[in-house]
Amino acid sequence: MARVYRPELTRALFGTAAVLAVTLTSGSALAAGKDALLVTIAGDAASLDPHVQWDTDSYTVYRNIFDNLVTRNAKGEIVPQIGKSWKYLNDNEIEFELVDGIKFHDGTPLTAQDVVFSVQRITNPAFKSPQLSQFNSIVEAQVVGPNKIRLRTSSPYPALMAQLVKLSVVPEATVKKTGDVEFNQKPVGSGPYKLVNWQRGVRIDLEAVPGYWRGKAPFEKVVFRGVSDPSTRIADLRTGKADVIRNVLTDDAPLIAKDPNLQVLSVPTERIGYMFLNALHGPTADVRVRRAIAHAVDRKGIIDALLGGYGKMVNIVLTPANFGYIDGFQGYPFDPAKAKALIKEAGADGAQLTFITSPVYDQRVVQAIQQMLGEVGLKVNIATSDQPTFLKRRQGNPAEAGNLSTGNWSCACQDADGVIYPLFQSESIWSKYKDKDFDAAVEAARTTLDEKKRMDAYRKAFELLERDVPGIGLFQGVAIYAARKELQWAPTPNEAFFVFDMKWNG
Amino acid sequence: MTGFLLNRAAQSIVSFWGAISIVFVIMHLSGDPTLLLVPEGATRADIEQLRHLLGFDRPLIVQYADYLFQLLRFDFGASLIQRVPVMDIILSRLPYTLWLGGCALALALLIGIPVGVLTGLFRGRLVDRICMPIVLIGQSMPTFWSGILLILLFAVELRWLPSSGAESSVSVIMPAVALGALSMATYARIARTGVIEELSKEYVRAVRAKGVSGIQVVLSHVLRNASIPIITVSALEIANLLAGAVIVETVFAWPGLGQLAVQSIASRDFLVVQGLVVLGAFTHIGLNFVADLLYGVVDPRISLSRRDT
Amino acid sequence: MTSLAGPTRRLPFGLSPIAAIAAFVLLVFVVMALLAPWLSPFDPARQTLLARLKPPGFTTVSGAVYWLGTDEVGRDLLSRVIYGARISLLVAVLSVAVSGTLGTCLGMIAGTYRGWVEIVIMRLVDIVLSIPAILLAIVTVAVLGPGLLNLVLVLGLTRWPRYTRVAYGQTLSVANLTYVTAARISGVRGPRLLLRHMLPNILAPMIVVATLEFGLMVLFEAGLSFLGLGIQPPTPSWGSILAVGRNYVGQAWWIATLPGFCLFGLVLSINLLGDFLRDRFDPRSQTSS
Repeated sequence: MARVYRPELTRALFGTAAVLAVTLTSGSALAAGKDALLVTIAGDAASLDPHVQWDTDSYTVYRNIFDNLVTRNAKGEIVPQIGKSWKYLNDNEIEFELVDGIKFHDGTPLTAQDVVFSVQRITNPAFKSPQLSQFNSIVEAQVVGPNKIRLRTSSPYPALMAQLVKLSVVPEATVKKTGDVEFNQKPVGSGPYKLVNWQRGVRIDLEAVPGYWRGKAPFEKVVFRGVSDPSTRIADLRTGKADVIRNVLTDDAPLIAKDPNLQVLSVPTERIGYMFLNALHGPTADVRVRRAIAHAVDRKGIIDALLGGYGKMVNIVLTPANFGYIDGFQGYPFDPAKAKALIKEAGADGAQLTFITSPVYDQRVVQAIQQMLGEVGLKVNIATSDQPTFLKRRQGNPAEAGNLSTGNWSCACQDADGVIYPLFQSESIWSKYKDKDFDAAVEAARTTLDEKKRMDAYRKAFELLERDVPGIGLFQGVAIYAARKELQWAPTPNEAFFVFDMKWNG
Repeated sequence: MTGFLLNRAAQSIVSFWGAISIVFVIMHLSGDPTLLLVPEGATRADIEQLRHLLGFDRPLIVQYADYLFQLLRFDFGASLIQRVPVMDIILSRLPYTLWLGGCALALALLIGIPVGVLTGLFRGRLVDRICMPIVLIGQSMPTFWSGILLILLFAVELRWLPSSGAESSVSVIMPAVALGALSMATYARIARTGVIEELSKEYVRAVRAKGVSGIQVVLSHVLRNASIPIITVSALEIANLLAGAVIVETVFAWPGLGQLAVQSIASRDFLVVQGLVVLGAFTHIGLNFVADLLYGVVDPRISLSRRDT
Repeated sequence: MTSLAGPTRRLPFGLSPIAAIAAFVLLVFVVMALLAPWLSPFDPARQTLLARLKPPGFTTVSGAVYWLGTDEVGRDLLSRVIYGARISLLVAVLSVAVSGTLGTCLGMIAGTYRGWVEIVIMRLVDIVLSIPAILLAIVTVAVLGPGLLNLVLVLGLTRWPRYTRVAYGQTLSVANLTYVTAARISGVRGPRLLLRHMLPNILAPMIVVATLEFGLMVLFEAGLSFLGLGIQPPTPSWGSILAVGRNYVGQAWWIATLPGFCLFGLVLSINLLGDFLRDRFDPRSQTSS
């Protein structure tokens, strides 16, 4: 019923032999019934080789084709997948025991050697994996038993397990036989779905693998399509061309919620909506100006009025979904009068600030902040460029980085180490802030496995950030999906998109 | 004739080289894809390492020479993002662009030219006053707006057509209408102008004075002479269609070269962009060559031999 | 509007009914642009987050009326549309002036002098046309930063070949006309030949191209806004309001509707007026009537 458009009528009216020859090849799958799940995401996958690409569109698809060493459950805890159990031998070495009897889609058994090969492949600099930096703390991987592997890191590395959540295991024999280019186009994994057809830019067809080791996959077929225009994605959902769509805008959510056939699925994520303040250049180099800005931004107003409640207020630059989150920080409450006073004190009345941004970021928030700062006497100029240019400025030297920008940060590791270390540690490309004590604190937290010591170090780090305000935590981001009413699925804070965890109601 | 062809071939190679070089320089001026490839949290050393591995730390001139030598061997390289040969990517998208562009162009010509001729013939009369504004409507709306309105009407409300993609045989209709509407008015106006100009010329007046009807004059003389601007504009209009396709393809998620171009530029996938420029240059130079030849056919006053010098 | 300058005649009042309507619409927009500060009921940049996406006629507790409703951050839409006329007109006028002048001159030169000049110019046309305009736009924004002048620069640099191609083709077809040949034989050379003898003969199609381009420039600015690279906020242009409003057609139809119709009206009017002007100033239709 839902997929009603009438190809036979319109085809009779407009169709020609040429039309059919070009496009009929894949039209038939549309007629598939409820055994297929149609997914519309923002773009076609760039690559289906899990070690080659690190972007949402690609991993949304390939994570359904591959299994990972470990994974996270709905609560966000790290739980076994291919790795059945693990133990630290010492601070630098960890041993995994693997599940026995897993088979890749081509029938070859998944062995310890495949896991070791996957680690070696992604950490081999010559392979040029964009994910190298997530795994290059691993200096050695070796098979130590029929179903046992051992990983050694260069130093104690607390985020190791969090990173291994993202390690997809590939079959060594197949990769070596087909070569990297071919494997990218015809990936073979051990996951619940296998690739049947990939029509670049059009659609990706997956099919359930019979006898999958974790159980029967919920849908016979899954189809991924990339549609970059958010309004068109919604049209896809409303016309039955999609059963579930990603990246729904906050203003579109109420409209979808009103539709009796549809539902909005949302979850607070580990993504932190934050504002960057350049502490090393321009008027924002004065800490009083930065504090004034923190007082001038009405975070609650932004969340309630602009985001329609799709966001949770935070007082530090970290979300409760990350390890290292500490409750009880006061932050800077909304207080325009105090902001004005601070600006006057700093002699910055009427100062010109450059707000760098790109279309990737919510322009409503950018414009709202522009006005909020205008009201306390700061003149904000917005400079929009495309994303690569924005990144070049943002990560460049402090004089070129503008004074302000917003961002949505996720390390996909749910650990403070992946957030405030790269954002504010003085050597980091993102950081426009220098503080020895802060550097020492985040360094300490990254080189011990003792959770208590790490929390203490992060407390210290957040105290310093609150004092110096090189950034403001605006809100915990919420991932919004929309789906047909019948779909049952609880999205997770790490924004993973495991079709295996979804099912039709009733 | 051989000399003419050789001359044009030499010029074409220079044009190719110019287009490729300009794009090479501006793409590299605008940064490289390394920053987009690494995960958030990569350190400066990580980024430098990847940049080195991808070869973007070499001097620009070395990268340029490298690319030119590659091209001389007809090697377009592989996409940095997708790690697939550039030619494979472009060839997989090309049929969609040709199909969409062809439908849009056919629509524009089939509606635009007759309307232009008709309004030119009946200039100032009711037909003229009604038809031109109607044709112009298509050209007066931004496609990103008309596109979403089309989707909401024909896909969401009426359920006649699929909302996006290129999987069904009727998927092309909405994007082709949105795209073709842009060119329709161009053809109508050029045809109308041509017809009016020709009708005012002495020879037409003379022929008409002999009692030959307007329609016959149009069919036998006027259309042929009015076709110069139509040909000129067609060569341009195809380029315009490709540019317009950028937004239309984005709105309708049509997997053609326009969307590929935007995405490749946005991800600084240099080799794909340059591959597209090579293709674009090839198409243009080919079309202009054809247009020049056609001038000679439709208007003997322009002789090819003179252009030989 | 440079093409209006037929020095021998002033704009007559004998407008056709359609041209009269078009001229009137255009006049309204120009007046709107000029008098924007006095016509607007609100500051077009002023946001009220609590009054977002309010429908036309929304009245606040203090009695202020948003006649056309508010946009996605609670700004008065009427004021934004009035101010938006400024940018939309300015971008189009300036970029047509730049690209039209440059392109027409080059086209006439190529068509008149032939030889290597022709080769260089026409190959340059090929080169520019074969580079995706969007690439040039993004790179210019990247290198120079966004802004009105850079926008005009982008449009000027990418659009001139279209005039050149037409001017070239037309020059070729009039170069052998009796009076042009006569002028050449009598020793007329250089700018004088181009401006006095060539230009009037090719002006009609150039006006057609320029008016079409004017409309396209308005749309191009809108397209860049859609891609997020247009005029910088909070400055409104019709294109930028529409680019956001199209995403709200389902929830707040009013955001896209008025700027959409203004844009539409502007492009339509300028094209219809272009028709009229061409009919009026075409030297051949004059001499023969």
